[in-house]
Amino acid sequence: MTQLENAGSPQEKLPESLSVFIEGMQVRLGKSTDIIYRFITLGPLSAVLVFIEGLSDPQSLIQAVHEDAGLFHELDDFTPVTCLKLLQERTLTLGKVGEISNYTEAETEILAGNTILFIEGSVTALSAGTEALKQRAVEDASSQSVVRGPREGFTESLRENTALVRRRIQNPKLRIESRKLGEQTQTDVAVMYIEGNADPVVLEELRRRLDDARLDSVLESNYIEEMIQDKRYSPFPTVYNTERPDVTASALLEGRIAILVEGTPFVLVVPALLVQFFQSSEDYYQRSDFASLVRLLRFFCFAVALLTPSFYIAITTFHQEMIPTTLLISLIGQREGIPFPAFLEAFIMEITFEILREAGIRLPKSIGQSVSIVGTLVIGQAAVDAGLVSAAMVIVVSITAIANFALPAFNVGISVRMLRFVLMAIAASFGLYGMIIAMIILGLHLCSLESVGIPYMTSFAPMRWQSQRDTFIRVSRRSMKKFFGRN
Amino acid sequence: MRGRRALTILLILSLLSLTGCWSRKELNDLALVMALGIDLVPEGYAVTAQVMNPSEAGNQKGASSGSLPVVTYKSVGRTVPDALQRMLSMTPRMLYLSHIRVLVFGEALARSGVSDALDFISRNHQLRTDFFLLVAKNSKASNILEIITPFEHIPANSLYSSILVSHKKWAATGKVTLQQFITELERGGSNPIMSGVQLKGDVEEGESAKNVQGISPKTLIQHAGIAVFKKDKLVGWLGEPLSKSVNYTLNDVDSTVGNVPSPDGGTVGFIVYRADTSMDIKLNDQGKPEFTVQLNIEANLTTVEGTLDLNKPSSIEGIEKNLEKRFDDRMASDIREVQQKYNSDIFGFGEALHRKYPKLWKDYRDHWEDSFKTVKIDVHSKVAVRRIGSVIQPLKRELEEK
Repeated sequence: MTQLENAGSPQEKLPESLSVFIEGMQVRLGKSTDIIYRFITLGPLSAVLVFIEGLSDPQSLIQAVHEDAGLFHELDDFTPVTCLKLLQERTLTLGKVGEISNYTEAETEILAGNTILFIEGSVTALSAGTEALKQRAVEDASSQSVVRGPREGFTESLRENTALVRRRIQNPKLRIESRKLGEQTQTDVAVMYIEGNADPVVLEELRRRLDDARLDSVLESNYIEEMIQDKRYSPFPTVYNTERPDVTASALLEGRIAILVEGTPFVLVVPALLVQFFQSSEDYYQRSDFASLVRLLRFFCFAVALLTPSFYIAITTFHQEMIPTTLLISLIGQREGIPFPAFLEAFIMEITFEILREAGIRLPKSIGQSVSIVGTLVIGQAAVDAGLVSAAMVIVVSITAIANFALPAFNVGISVRMLRFVLMAIAASFGLYGMIIAMIILGLHLCSLESVGIPYMTSFAPMRWQSQRDTFIRVSRRSMKKFFGRN
Repeated sequence: MRGRRALTILLILSLLSLTGCWSRKELNDLALVMALGIDLVPEGYAVTAQVMNPSEAGNQKGASSGSLPVVTYKSVGRTVPDALQRMLSMTPRMLYLSHIRVLVFGEALARSGVSDALDFISRNHQLRTDFFLLVAKNSKASNILEIITPFEHIPANSLYSSILVSHKKWAATGKVTLQQFITELERGGSNPIMSGVQLKGDVEEGESAKNVQGISPKTLIQHAGIAVFKKDKLVGWLGEPLSKSVNYTLNDVDSTVGNVPSPDGGTVGFIVYRADTSMDIKLNDQGKPEFTVQLNIEANLTTVEGTLDLNKPSSIEGIEKNLEKRFDDRMASDIREVQQKYNSDIFGFGEALHRKYPKLWKDYRDHWEDSFKTVKIDVHSKVAVRRIGSVIQPLKRELEEK
């Protein structure tokens, strides 16, 4: 019982006795039903395989051990130690085989999906890489789909994901640093960068922030995003995320650093600049002139999604003299009999739309269709007919919503949605004057942001004329070469 | 620290709800004044406001309750704002003046001087300066604003756009905004003009929707040439040909039509599509200024009546000569008429003199009106006929040749 008493100490050596080993393991892992102890015999020796059912696939290990049982008779000196050595060197046709000597290692290996082979009488055990998690196949990146370009998206498997990136960049300088984050989850996290391209200062800062990140669990990359983003509060995202290997690869080539997390297809990319959220990978797969126009359209959509309702409120409640007379006549006619002030009217419609959107996300696809029809047609039309909101307001809210969806990055869309309400309240109390002040504050705020030490507005503030070739517009590859030296 | 921060946030939030939004006004709290008319009455001013009726004018679906798209209110006050305030006792909403399209003065008021009334208009921050000023010829301003017009729901809009169209294509009306009027009024060497409107038909009949229910409306609003002002007082009216001459001289003609005798005795119709005017000043032997109006006109032929042989370049040249002669004579006599009959420098010759000879102007400044009456003004026009249309020979000539 001595072993059991000090079973809590981390570096406790493995015992010689098989039964003591099993007891020791059961103290540590509990008697969970998915932990399998499979007894086998190797010639005269009895042994046990420990693995977690479902996490690992020890089939090939068991098969190899049994098939090669004859080899053991050839041994002159048949002891547990030589037997282990033989198995390790010759028999096991597996990628990863390691020797372990204490309980803690054994525990980690088992939880990671490996199989432990313990032979009676030996103080070391073998750990065999039998990890066999059922994983999703590589599928379309649904959150960032493109018309032209690679279809692949990341999966939940970290290794698969690093492979997807490495396949795209066959550069020996591509580095992957691994670490485990999360006290309880022990999640694998990989930091990927290209040595020479990535800024060493940024890399060092990122490492420091990851070291400082005290996390209890990591179930998605956002857990890490929240820990590594700058401390200053901002509605804008300062970490970019993507589920596309090609986007990750191009970010790495630009000298950015990617953070891959086991269990999620969303990869973080730092440093993130504001313009990055307006770029889509497809910009580089389409003609440059078209890509430039589309990009300008997205900036326009950003402004539309952010400002339209507040602008409408401001000019219809404070600055009627600015509206062209014929438009004003039509607007006044529409507002006739509307019981709410313009702000409340806009607010009700925006909230209704947010409700519809939130409801739509979780609905099964078949019902989602009917909800969107009910939402858009029935509620919109009925509200106008009932005289609760004006038709112009329905147009304003719809164009705002559609413009919001035109932004390629979902998280900047969220920022816009939050700020829209703030701006609406400001427009309703201070008019265009307040909006201008709010825009100035917003500009100052954006300029004060940093992403891992790099100014968020880089290429505008500080101004980089060179990089203007790929901000609002994208010039062709040829002229990029001319101006950047590479393309 | 935490308490202080919470307090700050609370204060900022309360700012949002406590501002009261002093200049906030919802669209459905406004009575949009589309046109304003000002008349002279013994008690002061009678102000007429043509106010939009939103449920009719802005209604697209035609669920009409039978009322008209505009309502005209009238009230009397010692001053214009006084009368406007009094009007609030009748209107259900606050009068909003920013979108006035036209401002109409009654002829009686115009003859006695408009500057007192204009002071309120130019002083009020609500008013934009892009509306047109009109004088109601031979009638009160209120009559003009009581007529229902076809096409446009809102009579004021109808007036506004008809000024734009007729000025652009016909050139015998003025397009005078508040800004222009005041500038001309306050400059030493020129006098302002205004465009005139008059009623064609009967006021009583024009007041109701019946007016636009017939195929030919009984009562219409018609442009009535240019009103000549001397300082801020109306001194007379110019008819159609004179109004055109004034606009030519002011370099304010976009396009207009006319006709001249052709060299062989027929008539040729033309359309001017470009007209440039410049003023030239020379000092004669006595050191007196002499003005030359240089007119460059490009025109197309619109109709050729008669048997003129248009294949010959000389025919075209003949037409051009006739045109030039006509312009020279007609305009010179028109300008002379304004000089002598109204003695009001609406063309801005004095201003031109001021610019070219600032020192000499000092001698004329105080009595330019007397000098203007006798000053020598020549007109030199140059006409180029560019296009003759899609046929060459006149139809009559073709018939005769057969």
